[in-house]
Amino acid sequence: MEHKSFEVMTGNKACAWGVKLSRVQVASIYPVTPQTTIGEYIAEFIANGELKCELVNAEGELATQAIVKAASRVGARTFVCTSGPGQLYMHHPMHGTSSGRLPVVMATVHRGNKGMQPDHTDLMSQLWTGWIQWYCENNQEVLDSVIMAYRTAEDKRVRLPIAIGYDGYILSYTSEPVEIPDQASVDEFLPPYEPIPNILPDKWAEAQRGRGAGMMEGFMSGGGDPQAAWRIHHEAILNSKEVIKEVNEEFGKRFGRKYGNGLVEEYRTDDAEAVVVAMGTIASTARVAIDRMRSEGKPVGLVKLKTFVPFPTEDFQELGKRVRAIGMIDRNVCLGLGGAGFGELRRALYDLDERPKVLGFYAGLAGAEVRVRDIEKMAEKTLKAARGEKVDPIVEWAKLGGGG
Amino acid sequence: MSERITIKQVPLEELVITPGSACQGCGAALAARLAFKALGPNTIRHSIPACPDNVTRTPTSGGEFEAGGDHVTGTWRALKALGREDVQVVGFYGDGGVYDIGFQSISGAAIRNENVFIICKNNEAYMNTGGQVSGATPQFAMTTTTPVGPMSRGKPHSRKNTPMIFAMHGVPYVATASVAFPTDLIAKVQYGKGIRGFKFLDILSPCPTGWRFDPSKTIEVARLAVQTGFWPLYEIIDGRKFRLNYKPRELKPVAEYLKLQGRFRHLSEQEIEEIQRSVTEYWERLLKLDEIGEILI
Ligand SMILES: Cc1ncc(C[n+]2csc(CCOP(=O)(O)OP(=O)(O)O)c2C)c(N)n1
Ligand code: SF4
Repeated sequence: MEHKSFEVMTGNKACAWGVKLSRVQVASIYPVTPQTTIGEYIAEFIANGELKCELVNAEGELATQAIVKAASRVGARTFVCTSGPGQLYMHHPMHGTSSGRLPVVMATVHRGNKGMQPDHTDLMSQLWTGWIQWYCENNQEVLDSVIMAYRTAEDKRVRLPIAIGYDGYILSYTSEPVEIPDQASVDEFLPPYEPIPNILPDKWAEAQRGRGAGMMEGFMSGGGDPQAAWRIHHEAILNSKEVIKEVNEEFGKRFGRKYGNGLVEEYRTDDAEAVVVAMGTIASTARVAIDRMRSEGKPVGLVKLKTFVPFPTEDFQELGKRVRAIGMIDRNVCLGLGGAGFGELRRALYDLDERPKVLGFYAGLAGAEVRVRDIEKMAEKTLKAARGEKVDPIVEWAKLGGGG
Repeated sequence: MSERITIKQVPLEELVITPGSACQGCGAALAARLAFKALGPNTIRHSIPACPDNVTRTPTSGGEFEAGGDHVTGTWRALKALGREDVQVVGFYGDGGVYDIGFQSISGAAIRNENVFIICKNNEAYMNTGGQVSGATPQFAMTTTTPVGPMSRGKPHSRKNTPMIFAMHGVPYVATASVAFPTDLIAKVQYGKGIRGFKFLDILSPCPTGWRFDPSKTIEVARLAVQTGFWPLYEIIDGRKFRLNYKPRELKPVAEYLKLQGRFRHLSEQEIEEIQRSVTEYWERLLKLDEIGEILI
């Protein structure tokens, strides 16, 4: 019988616990608020002899990413973490890690690109780097996601790096009770990592000698098709959905907790006419808003979007057949283009014969507080649209808090 | 310090696969050939964008131009975690990658004393992109971004003294070498290979294409660089113990070296004198260090 232990801890400590339980072998860190204490917790675990791990205090975030990339290629399980400006500074080697199909796991503790406060623009700025992206709602999900991420990333059907985003301050420095899975169960759930190809000189296959596989990852191509490197990478990400779901199910069976189907989690969507879609901590607030509205008899629901890359197109298409309007809450804006979630959602639904209306709400950018009442307003508007009433504008900057 | 070897002691095994992508007479290709003979097959070579695209019979890793020090750090730490400390971790990089864009990363690896060997095939400019100026380019040299014209005399400032900067990190081993002195070069790689910690070897590798000289003259140019004191051969242990490896009774005039190369063709007598003064002055300082056998700072 599994021994259950609980501790009240911050999101950053939960993340470090995930690293420890996953027996990470090489980690590289660099200070930037609000992720800094993850590295401090890891350093403490090592100093106390609780974790055996090579910890590299690097000279910047570009370095941290390049270091774990190289270590992952040799065959070590690796971890890296960052926030905001550090996330942006890491851009170039993030491409190298994913193009090398290396199962690095990274925590991104959100800090927006305008100021210190959280929004998702840091990790969203890396949408083109070819990483799987997960967004977490609470500290338990942070810890669990780290473990699930290694299992998913290292699965030979996937071999891709995974970024785990969670809101800075709101989770990083806020304490919640977290259940700590026991080490033996995690060890059973997470087998050791085996690199492909193995680049140790005595294991390096004859065929790979010379122009090493993965050396100039980005330039690798297959069968004379210059586009193959992009196509294969893109398809690998799309094909990871089944493994993400499978790992989530197995995690649920073993540890008694799971996160929707691993891609999305539907909340009170049965007979809903309208749903809102939320990511990260806004999903927690949205649950309360949905409960309130349901108690008033309003047929609204919530979809928590956990896996943003690969986008759960099929799940939303299926949902799109059941509801008449969807309100996407974006804690990000791709300047001059719009909310990343809004764009993806519309792309996913376009091919349906009968499409629901898709509304967009910018909320929580630069750390703006999003309250239950704010989400109720968004859901009300979405419900109006579902019932055929005219809503204007389709996309709005949510007026948060106060009156308005 | 490294021990002198004879040409008969040079390992016969070739780890560089030829033909590579090098031009005729490429000094950097020769630097690779010599260095990897000494490194042997139990090596992971790291590379970053540079020319020539040396191909070795060793596994390769690496990637971003700006992260040379980080590539080797990650590999070494993983080898340590996996209990494979027997494998040599080598970064074989150009001067742009070492002196400029990757300088921070290599400084990081040096100050953490990672067990890695950084070998710079120094052709004194960004050759892969067509010969632009780098931190290793000597003063007055003409490059494609420091052209010569009525308003310009080539590179306006002197080169960065990178070997000394790494020595000042207090790392176990720093040395300079030249492709015209193969036994000295190989002895230094063999010596460095036996040391645990950060090693840096800066190999002057003449580039006929970028320096504009006849490809048959690579060795002559490389030899003159040393014989004139333009590229002194030395080694430094722990940032302190110092030894000059080549000490002629008298240096040849630097003009002999400069005149072979198109990149210095525009030099006036006065400019040659200026270079001569600075070379002589630096050489005298090195002689003093050699005499006391130590860098006293
Ligand atoms: C981040 C980045 N900036 C610029 C380049 C372009 N680039 C590729 S090779 C190269 C020159 C390399 O010069 P050096 O390191 O001196 O080696 P060499 O080619 O002279 O042997 C440059 C500038 C790049 N690949 N990556
Ligand atoms: S340009 Fe110079 S360094 Fe590059 S391959 Fe040719 S000779 Fe060698």
